[in-house]
Amino acid sequence: MLDLAFWAPVMAGGLVAGGSCGSLSVYIVAMRIPFLGVCVAHAALAGAVFGALAGLAGDLLLWPALGAAVVTSLLLGLADPRRTRMDTNIMMGLLFSVTMGLAFVGFGLFGVLGRSDNDVRSLLWGSLAYCRWGDVRLMLAASIVLGLFLLAFGKEMRAIVFSRQDAAAAGIQATAVWCVFLVLVAILITVNFQTVGGLMIYSLITNPAAAAFQLVRGSVRALLLALVLGGISGLGGFLLSAATDLPSGAVIVLVSSLLVVAAFGWRTLRER
Amino acid sequence: MSEAAVQFSGVSVRAGRRTILELDALRIERGAMVGLLGPNGSGKSTLLRCCLGMQTHVQGDIEVLGQRIAGLGVRALGRLRRRIGLVPQVLPSDREMPLTVREVVAIGRTASAGMLRPLRRADWRIVDEWLERLGLAPLAGGGYSEISGGEQRKVLIARVLVGRPEILLLDEPTANLDWGWRQRLVQLIEDLYRQMHLTVLLVCHDLDALPAGCRRAVFLCEGRLIADGCWPEIIDPALIRSLYGPGLSVRLNDGRMVAAAGGADHA
Repeated sequence: MLDLAFWAPVMAGGLVAGGSCGSLSVYIVAMRIPFLGVCVAHAALAGAVFGALAGLAGDLLLWPALGAAVVTSLLLGLADPRRTRMDTNIMMGLLFSVTMGLAFVGFGLFGVLGRSDNDVRSLLWGSLAYCRWGDVRLMLAASIVLGLFLLAFGKEMRAIVFSRQDAAAAGIQATAVWCVFLVLVAILITVNFQTVGGLMIYSLITNPAAAAFQLVRGSVRALLLALVLGGISGLGGFLLSAATDLPSGAVIVLVSSLLVVAAFGWRTLRER
Repeated sequence: MSEAAVQFSGVSVRAGRRTILELDALRIERGAMVGLLGPNGSGKSTLLRCCLGMQTHVQGDIEVLGQRIAGLGVRALGRLRRRIGLVPQVLPSDREMPLTVREVVAIGRTASAGMLRPLRRADWRIVDEWLERLGLAPLAGGGYSEISGGEQRKVLIARVLVGRPEILLLDEPTANLDWGWRQRLVQLIEDLYRQMHLTVLLVCHDLDALPAGCRRAVFLCEGRLIADGCWPEIIDPALIRSLYGPGLSVRLNDGRMVAAAGGADHA
């Protein structure tokens, strides 16, 4: 029997992380940039490492992590692929390697300075099982801001997903909207990353959309279905892990992956 | 002299150390349909990008619909771009794209609806009208990535037209299409030009992709204007050979110019 007082925030965290990352996944998969999560998460880690080296600890580490993630996402948003002659994915690969390098240099500096890096290492291996109501509130706040943004700029995002170049050519402020979106992605991933861990985030920002796109057409339907599938992965995966005593993050990843396989199978059968 | 829709004066565009477009003067009147022709890399698409203020490293004066591109801020440039419709050369058709045909056409209303405002019923009515008018209504609920290349071109034209542009820029609208679709699209462009009194700049490689309503052709080669005049009178076998190499002949067929390998020239 689950101890609800302890496990309720964990279940809520799984649901919120699943739902918010699921809705985000629609844009990330449609634009073929699944590497974004890894890139932003490592930038956040580098920020947290250098924040800790500067003397910050505990919850305060969130701020340098957010700062580094936001700066990285802005660099991505403002880089014009035509001018840089680099595809967005290549740019992400570059930023990912730089931020990962910085993070590990930072870890090395802890040893050089003879200090403990336990605080930041816990960020690297964040786990849903340690999610508390304070974390859920933070994740919920980031999700609500993302939801409001998608409500306000849904039609601009639809144009950007179709083609960023064409959106700009049509007189849409594509760069500005794209940058705001990337900043919100950075915030959402950073907030989720420190609570539920990287593995779960990376799967939840691709799998729900990958499954939804097999089943429905239209951006609004895909968005809603991805949100639901993300929520099912987050909550269902946790309940399954509680019942089997297996690690929650890994089970959530497997559940979300199974949903993609099931959606593919369903579509294949329907089209026969 | 009628008002100019597009005017280039002393324009030079560079990419690194290379000059990719150099135009001393080019004027396109409002309501004209002009064909932009020339081999690959001759500067045709660059010229279209200049009209939209999307080209970097530009020197000289470009005036579009009475506004100097160089003097425009981000917002003013955005407003100008709403008056111009670009049908791009490369089709965005990612397999993952969840957008329906109706949603893609509705993108054309996004800029004019304004930021922070959803599309209104009137916007959707315009979208549905154009879907109907171009024969795309049966495909409206289907996925954009699931339709044929010819249908996708039609959708992109509809997407531009719902924004009610004053200038239509078409970048190789018939590229990679079979003969039947090419004929249908050329006829569609011709019909739209006659019905909507648009200014049309049409980039193409195929001489038979120029609609009968096109009365002027501009030839570019290596970024320079090498011929500009009435179509099809401007066609000179020597000009075609100098642009595309020997062994190509041109002839007039049902009011449209057709290029073919070998044979006699009949301009």
